[in-house]
Amino acid sequence: MSNLLSVENLTMKFGGLTAIDDLSFDAKNNQITSIIGPNGAGKTTVFNCLTGFYKPTNGQMFLHKEDSKISLRKYTDFKIAYVAKVARTFQNIRLFPAMSVLENLLVAQHNELMVASGYSLFGLLNLKSYRDKEQLAVDKAKYWLDIIGLTHRADDNAGDLPYGDQRKLEIVRAMCIEPRLLCLDEPAAGLNPKESAELNKLLKFIKTEKQTGILLIEHDMSVVMGISDHVVVLNYGKKIFAGTAEQTKNSKEVIEAYLGVDE
Amino acid sequence: MGKQDIIKSLKDSLFTGLIALALFGPIVGLRTVSKGEGLFITPQWGVVFLLVGLCILGRFLININSARRTEFKIFSTLSSKFSSITEDKAKHFAITGILFAVVFPFLPFTDRYFMDVAIMILTYIMLGWGLNIVVGLAGLLDLGYVAFYAVGAYSYALIATTFGWSFWICLPLAGVFAAFFGILLGFPVLRLRGDYLAIVTLGFGEIIRIILINWYEVTNGPDGITGIPRPSFFGLPFKRSPDEGETSFHLFFNLEYSTMHRIIFLYYLILVLALITNYFTLKIRKLPVGRAWEALREDEIACKSLGVNPTNTKLTAFAIGAMFGGFAGSFFATRQAFISPESFTFIESAIIVAIVVLGGMGSQTGVVLASIFLIGITEMFRDLEQFRMIAFGGAMVLIMVFKPKGILANRKPTILMHGDKK
Repeated sequence: MSNLLSVENLTMKFGGLTAIDDLSFDAKNNQITSIIGPNGAGKTTVFNCLTGFYKPTNGQMFLHKEDSKISLRKYTDFKIAYVAKVARTFQNIRLFPAMSVLENLLVAQHNELMVASGYSLFGLLNLKSYRDKEQLAVDKAKYWLDIIGLTHRADDNAGDLPYGDQRKLEIVRAMCIEPRLLCLDEPAAGLNPKESAELNKLLKFIKTEKQTGILLIEHDMSVVMGISDHVVVLNYGKKIFAGTAEQTKNSKEVIEAYLGVDE
Repeated sequence: MGKQDIIKSLKDSLFTGLIALALFGPIVGLRTVSKGEGLFITPQWGVVFLLVGLCILGRFLININSARRTEFKIFSTLSSKFSSITEDKAKHFAITGILFAVVFPFLPFTDRYFMDVAIMILTYIMLGWGLNIVVGLAGLLDLGYVAFYAVGAYSYALIATTFGWSFWICLPLAGVFAAFFGILLGFPVLRLRGDYLAIVTLGFGEIIRIILINWYEVTNGPDGITGIPRPSFFGLPFKRSPDEGETSFHLFFNLEYSTMHRIIFLYYLILVLALITNYFTLKIRKLPVGRAWEALREDEIACKSLGVNPTNTKLTAFAIGAMFGGFAGSFFATRQAFISPESFTFIESAIIVAIVVLGGMGSQTGVVLASIFLIGITEMFRDLEQFRMIAFGGAMVLIMVFKPKGILANRKPTILMHGDKK
């Protein structure tokens, strides 16, 4: 299995606070890599560095393509999603609540549609080439909505969906940019056991059918242990363990980090 | 209703009276009269007590009424009437509205005054539609929109008086200039949002006005620009006696000369300009850039995470909104034939923002209703002179109380997967 992402000596300091301390790990293609750790361990900070919201103090992050690699440090802001094709979701859901479900998925395909609409010129002239492209985008949205079972609510406002559906919608919206790496920040937070199981199914589908690497931050151990191929454990910004889910469960360091040391 | 309720509402009414006394006391009670060598204060406590008494009585009646849980019939029906106007019905409303607007100049009761008011309302509708792109769709609260109106008006006035080019060449040029200023404003405020953005745009509006006042060599300062050419009907001027070798409108069409011809032409001109603005907005809203504007209004961080370039998206919104402001500005200049910085004060921006917000952010029909309501009511009370602004404020309060989200707050998706279900 080839490497998709390699993080090398990543360090992020906020003033005197070192949120991430010399972190190195790899994530492979077609695998789900989970980052776990107690609250404040620096998990979300890793995500914010990867997706260009923070500029790391030190270290490198590479995304590997077939025969080349690109440094994620070079891309900030919207270019991470646009050029490097790294998509993310957020801990507190960030949909466009007053826009319809379908519109949410079309905004994710903004850049292709923008070119297709000739930067609005062809669109204003209502050319067939643009209308065809728009239909393709709608078809792609429908494909994903069929998978999460929300096609019947395509024309409703995203903000009106139940919480669990909003989570799933945010994930498929990120998938609409056809990412190479999908970063999910606590996707199972606030889901009931049934919804968690559906989420597991969706993530496995993305991993196997879409050939997308997934990086996952999660507190819900049933999700982590159920679907992770690889687990990285952080504590106080440092990597304390990396291995398979089974190995992690039995690791002394991990148990100590979560439950404390016996006096 | 129990005894306690009555005592409670009495207490409440007396408190209202106290507030009324504090307000009316100095405002109405102490009247200044200039007599001979100075200014004197004439107290008129009788009027004050009358007003305070009315307030107490009114408040008491309202209290008793609400205790009985009977609402004011008029208000509740008015409120439900408005909420039943959905975007679907708005479509019928729009078609009737446009038809009415087209035949309006030829209705029997339409006189010069009605035409002037209609032209003014249409100008505000166009400005409202232009600002709707920036505020309603992109969610960028712009309190300095009048700046682009001014840029459009001055561009037209300066080009037309200096080079003598016709209205139809100057109009697009004015739009281009205004769009350029839109981008100029857009750049420094890219990182700002909400209140901070509002403050900076407000400042921008003032900067433009102050430049217009002080750059005497170009803008003629506070004296303004006079003798701005009137528009012609595709080369036919509206003149009683045309110059040598020229044919005027009434001669060409063999009509009796009337000043109304020009007014009617101006009316149709602004009607067409406004409808173009509307058509363009409705179209672009359904294009990727329009959806990106709305997405930006909803959540900028999510936009970035999906690869939408917020810089370009914001700048296009500013530029296009400004362009329509510029068009409206050049219409204003050609209609008045005289412009000065005094026409472009902050109150104009405030009125346009009020129209957009009260109409219901992003709603095109809402802008029309709010313009007619706000400008129309203010005009109806013109006889009351300075007190007519009370009518303006009252109209705003009425909308805020009964439709806090704006007259038309329903948003229709730009694209449907299942088609119209109704």
